[in-house]
Amino acid sequence: MRFIAKLTAVLIGLSFTHLVMADAQPQRWVSAGGALTEWIVALGGESHLVGIDTTSQHPESIKSLPSIGYQRQLSSEGILSLRPNILVGTEEMGPPPVLEQLRAAGVKVEVLSAGAEISSLQGNLQKLGALLGKETQAREAGEQYARQLEGQHSWVAQAQQHQSAPGVLLLVSHAGAAPMVAGLGTVGDWLIKQSGGRNLATHTGYKIFSAEAMAGMNPEVLVFTDRVQNGTSSRQALLRENPLLAATQAARNNRLIEVDPTLLVGGLGPRLPEAMKALAKAFYPADSSLNAKVTPAQ
Amino acid sequence: MRVILQPRSLFIVLSVTCVLAIWLSLALGPVSLPLMDTLRAGLRLLGVPVSGDNLEQAELILGQIRVPRTLLGLAVGAVLALSGVAMQGLFRNPLADPGLVGVSSGAALGAAIAIVAGASVGGLPDAIEPYLLSISAFAGGLIVTGIVYRLGRRDGQTSVGIMLLAGVAMTALAGSIIGLFSYLADDATLRTLTFWNLGTLNGASYTRLWPLLLVCVLVILWLPRRAKALNALLLGESEARHLGIEVERLKRELVLCIAMGVGAAVAAAGLIGFVGLIVPHLVRLIAGPDHRVVLPASALAGASLLLLADVFARLVLAPAELPIGIVTALIGAPFFLFLLVRGRTG
Repeated sequence: MRFIAKLTAVLIGLSFTHLVMADAQPQRWVSAGGALTEWIVALGGESHLVGIDTTSQHPESIKSLPSIGYQRQLSSEGILSLRPNILVGTEEMGPPPVLEQLRAAGVKVEVLSAGAEISSLQGNLQKLGALLGKETQAREAGEQYARQLEGQHSWVAQAQQHQSAPGVLLLVSHAGAAPMVAGLGTVGDWLIKQSGGRNLATHTGYKIFSAEAMAGMNPEVLVFTDRVQNGTSSRQALLRENPLLAATQAARNNRLIEVDPTLLVGGLGPRLPEAMKALAKAFYPADSSLNAKVTPAQ
Repeated sequence: MRVILQPRSLFIVLSVTCVLAIWLSLALGPVSLPLMDTLRAGLRLLGVPVSGDNLEQAELILGQIRVPRTLLGLAVGAVLALSGVAMQGLFRNPLADPGLVGVSSGAALGAAIAIVAGASVGGLPDAIEPYLLSISAFAGGLIVTGIVYRLGRRDGQTSVGIMLLAGVAMTALAGSIIGLFSYLADDATLRTLTFWNLGTLNGASYTRLWPLLLVCVLVILWLPRRAKALNALLLGESEARHLGIEVERLKRELVLCIAMGVGAAVAAAGLIGFVGLIVPHLVRLIAGPDHRVVLPASALAGASLLLLADVFARLVLAPAELPIGIVTALIGAPFFLFLLVRGRTG
């Protein structure tokens, strides 16, 4: 009983300090979500970050921060040792008892959306902006994102007057082996559709397909990403491990496009519009004039 | 078999190790608390009025994180090791592992169903959701073990040979269903499943702890009472029967104990391999096969091993954490090999 009374006193004390400090923004941040970390950095909050999870891979400068492990397998005491004021992450963050313990220890746990929709992103940006004290910047970033998407849509609509939407598969592989295909509900699927492609895969999430099934779908464009290699070597690895792919239209017309694997983790990140432009250009090669600035993806 | 340590000295060594392990588990963690703060916070938690500034953090970390975690580690370690002894006694084979009767794979299947179905159904009542995984894992372990036991029964007799084979088959069956669920799971769910299979003491809280502690205490109190019967069973089933042991009843009780104990441990902490197989073996190598010694000594050694492994797991990658199943095998397997080699040459 005595312990519970003490604990209650501590908790009340902690919540009281929070009330007093309600105006002040949290100073020490731990981020458990790749895209969220990128947004925090983009909004100028990098100096507040004291820890990141394993899905936070970008930008390069944050990689020296302490890693709190995988977002679904957080350790309460590990995170507390970083003395954070706030932990931000998505619904995927867990396990729940650890989040409870962190809340009990006075860490603000902010659960944002991992959804691949523009509305979730706007909500996330609004919250991050308020917490960082950068409401204006966050709003502008959100508006700019929406504008970029709109520009993209009209560009795609225009391009489609000359060319129908190409059938696309997005493959995530490990040195070319056992590629997983991005299906509905993934950031990869969103990326394909926003770039004006038609995702040939209709399953949910990422699934391993047989090379035969992939060849049978005969995609016009193959978007691929490799966790261990990039550039020419990953392209060669993909075709070497899956020789049947060489028979697809995509391979015959040399329309294999690589994207950065860190783009596809944890919701919509700030780098997606650029990736989208590059993809759209590859999907509609005839209409490249509208995107003068875009460099082709390597 | 040569006895390296007499029971009395063995118990002294193990008790000291266990107390030391408890102390380390309470004193060490990613948050470095000064020794005096830990002590004072501990006294405060026990209700002793100790003065001190800034003890709130120490009290929270000790009371809400390290104490439940230590209790969980003690209970899980002891019960896994005891179940290992019971298993090896039941099968009269030092290589028997609690997983053999299907309890681990059944629990893993229950957990897989809860993780994958829970993720796709979503929005369960708050009162059930935190417990869904544990209940499902516990039930899975009991059901599969029940089936294995039932398959081993013939004409009022339980054939451990058939149970063993049925256990292997059920494990394979459960494994394939788990594989199917992993295939159906999305990426994030799959990761949860993978991590669950490696076990962790992370996130221990009192609400989840009590059901496990209750089961563990029952097993820990009950199994050593059957030490003499287990000794008799070592001689063979008919010999044990001639010595006046109700062999069928003993088997039933042992299977029930293993199913309850391992089921509860796995439900609370995930799959932690190795402890149940190695600890009893180790104790027997040191102290000989007498179950009156092996049972309590294994409980102490299992609890100590798990606590020490957990201290390592939480410190080595801090602030991240290593799944404890990796650590138990990493520490235990080479040590076990060393004992085997030494035992052969010495």
